[in-house]
Amino acid sequence: MSEVTLNIGPQHPGSGHFRLVVSVDGDTITKATPDPGYVHRGVEKQAEYREYLQNIPLLERPVISDSNGSVYAYVLAVERLAGLTVPERAQYIRVLMAELNRIMSHLYWLAIFGIFLGHSTMFMWPFGDREAVIDLAQRAMGTRLTYSYFVPGGVRNDLPDGFKDQAIRAIEFLEKRLIEYNAIFMKNPVFLQRTRGVGILRTDDAIKLGVVGPTLRGSGIDADARKDEPYDVYDKLEFDIPTFPNGDCYSRSLVRLEEIKQSIRIVRQVLEAMPPGAFRARNPSVLKPPRGSVYTRTEAARGTYAYFITSKGDKTPYRLKISSPSFRNLPAFEFLMRGSHLADMPTIYWSLDYWPLEADR
Amino acid sequence: MIGESCLSNLRSHASAMRSGMKHLLRRRMTLRYPESKMELPPGYRYPQAGYKGRHILEMEKCTGCSICEYMCRNITGAIGMVPVEGTFPRNRKAIFPQIDYGMCVFCGFCVDVCVFSALNMTQDYELSSYDKQQLIYTPQQLATPPGVSGRARFVVTRGGAYHKE
Amino acid sequence: MLDLNEPLASLLQVLVFPGLTFALIFVLFMVWYERKLLAKMQLRVGPLYAGRFEGILQPMADFIKLLFKEVIVPKQADKFFFLLAPTFMMAVSASMLALIPLSASQVIADSNVALLIIIALLSLSPLTIIVAAWASNNKYSLIGGLRALHQMTSYAIPMSFSILGIVLMSGSFSLLAIVESQRSSWFILLQPLGAVVFYLAALAELERVPFDIPEAETEIVMGWETEYSGINYGIIMTATYIKFYALAVLFTDLFLGGWLGPAPVPPVIWTILKTLLVVTLMMIPRGVYPRLRVDQMLRFGWTGLLPLSLVNLLIGLVEIAYLKL
Repeated sequence: MSEVTLNIGPQHPGSGHFRLVVSVDGDTITKATPDPGYVHRGVEKQAEYREYLQNIPLLERPVISDSNGSVYAYVLAVERLAGLTVPERAQYIRVLMAELNRIMSHLYWLAIFGIFLGHSTMFMWPFGDREAVIDLAQRAMGTRLTYSYFVPGGVRNDLPDGFKDQAIRAIEFLEKRLIEYNAIFMKNPVFLQRTRGVGILRTDDAIKLGVVGPTLRGSGIDADARKDEPYDVYDKLEFDIPTFPNGDCYSRSLVRLEEIKQSIRIVRQVLEAMPPGAFRARNPSVLKPPRGSVYTRTEAARGTYAYFITSKGDKTPYRLKISSPSFRNLPAFEFLMRGSHLADMPTIYWSLDYWPLEADR
Repeated sequence: MIGESCLSNLRSHASAMRSGMKHLLRRRMTLRYPESKMELPPGYRYPQAGYKGRHILEMEKCTGCSICEYMCRNITGAIGMVPVEGTFPRNRKAIFPQIDYGMCVFCGFCVDVCVFSALNMTQDYELSSYDKQQLIYTPQQLATPPGVSGRARFVVTRGGAYHKE
Repeated sequence: MLDLNEPLASLLQVLVFPGLTFALIFVLFMVWYERKLLAKMQLRVGPLYAGRFEGILQPMADFIKLLFKEVIVPKQADKFFFLLAPTFMMAVSASMLALIPLSASQVIADSNVALLIIIALLSLSPLTIIVAAWASNNKYSLIGGLRALHQMTSYAIPMSFSILGIVLMSGSFSLLAIVESQRSSWFILLQPLGAVVFYLAALAELERVPFDIPEAETEIVMGWETEYSGINYGIIMTATYIKFYALAVLFTDLFLGGWLGPAPVPPVIWTILKTLLVVTLMMIPRGVYPRLRVDQMLRFGWTGLLPLSLVNLLIGLVEIAYLKL
């Protein structure tokens, strides 16, 4: 068959809200051009009309499965801009919630990977196990997915009683489930056949393309904003950054599952070491930071989140620029899909963990 | 496939099948809604942790200062101040918040900012209706006490996790 | 066996048991069983509300819903073949079912070469799929239809070879004779490799996971079934499940000794119980494995299953020579 152009459009069971224009010759993809922008809402512009505190419900909504990850960088940026100090207990709580969100996001990623590969059990089990963590979140923060919990200066409320025991039970449960996932998902011969050797991103190409997050760490590069520029109490905690050298979809999957294990490790340490004290700094509820700009970087579940905020001394930011990991990973689409089978398209797409709403903002 | 190490492949197949079939003996995780409902933490009152559900307005405490409306104005604009018939000793203007649940995102900043602790949140979450107009809760509707919480909890046991009544 | 001298008894056999009505009821049961089994493996509930007992009437409700939906024929599609293809598929599946005995006396059409005719009918099913895909006038359907054609043709060959050992051991192609010759020992003990090859090839013929590339792919929405809606789609689904039922009973007759079993239980019940076991085993991979890619699936069929079936034939020949079967 001659070359056919498929439009894997925004309304498609296998593509999310994202258009991918694919040229296929027989079974091989010759060109794959991503076309983001279907869900662009102008978040950066909308943020200019809201005060610093009112921006938090707005900014956590692009990345709904990892909502604390996207707000963390914003909150750190505002604190740096306004010169606020955060009490230590609040820092520990923030790290705890960010890591729980990382676990949630990676389990969600695993579930949707199951849909793309045609494995319905891989869809159902992680969603069920996520309930353990979501239950914890609901107890501490009040809602299941979008919390509006981090504020400049700390967190909005303290942890409830009995949280520590419930948290330890939940993470022990998750550890046991990860062993189960290893047997049926990661060591499954058909899964290995589908993901091993598929979409190989070599180390030098990864650096040239500028990808971030588990995509970068799956190509052997040890880069993580939690270790490179530690924020809050990450420099006091012991954890490893998993990297795998091969650069194929399988390495990227392994990186994410290892990150869940490391997050569990961090959560354990935080629960042990949490000091008593205040959970929110005393600061005016209408923040008016002095003139200046600030750039902060954190490591959300999908990669490096960065904010650049410029303030002119008003109640609202003058310019808020969001650098999201999904947008940074877009060049990898075109690069990786060239020359692969048509059936590898969903595998490569989801192993990059592209979240359309986050890339379009 | 013949070329690869067949034996380790067979072992992986066997362990995958074994893992799948082991779950045939486990208890189902599903919450049988609406016959059983989740047990929720108490409603959100700043600064304690709580569940962010429908708001509850204590009309004796509200003074009509409109700070909640000011806070929500840029977030979603779900709160509007409306006049209410009657005299209220603390509320000279006799205006109270009405909340449009079609717009509310349940962030809870209005609760944080209420100086008089008149606006709090409850455990009610079943707020759907057939008509968008019915989603706008008047102050009297907001003042009604909440319903009773359910009883099911998500428990983690040795044999797995499930929702226990 | 149909005795044409007694038209009423023959009609009852064809229409009620083991013919049309029993097959349809069993198929409805199988659809429900699959959904419940998969749900239990995935720690969820499955159908629950249709019917008094755990959603047992859910497939019935789905079928009635399909009856009410509009049969959409795409504008440029070949209308005649578009509407004919599901009936064609049903005819092939039903003919297969007619040849397979449920017990020594419960078979609609017996023949000395029943097994050969069944293999021929299985090889006819890719043709029906190509007719359906081509008549849809949709490039995604065509891609799916071609993949189905490749898959079914490649896996029909190992399936045919895997039963050659049994044919040699029992000395005939007739299914009644094959089951009779398992009185001393079931063929699954003598030809385990053949059973495995037949099982995997049957999964591929039925387009079940892990071989369901033609059917449910994330970029060709439903493959060759995309344009089908309403009762047209209902007929395709029924035909697929009748083929599933037919292949499961065939597996029972060939490898598990058919209706042979200890006395107090009637033979038909033995067949049905063993068929349920086979059906369960064929449904479990759906919860355990993801989908194979097209080239991986074809490579597995040609370089994995075909040599295995020939090895199985060799083992069968050795057994015949040395065990004096």
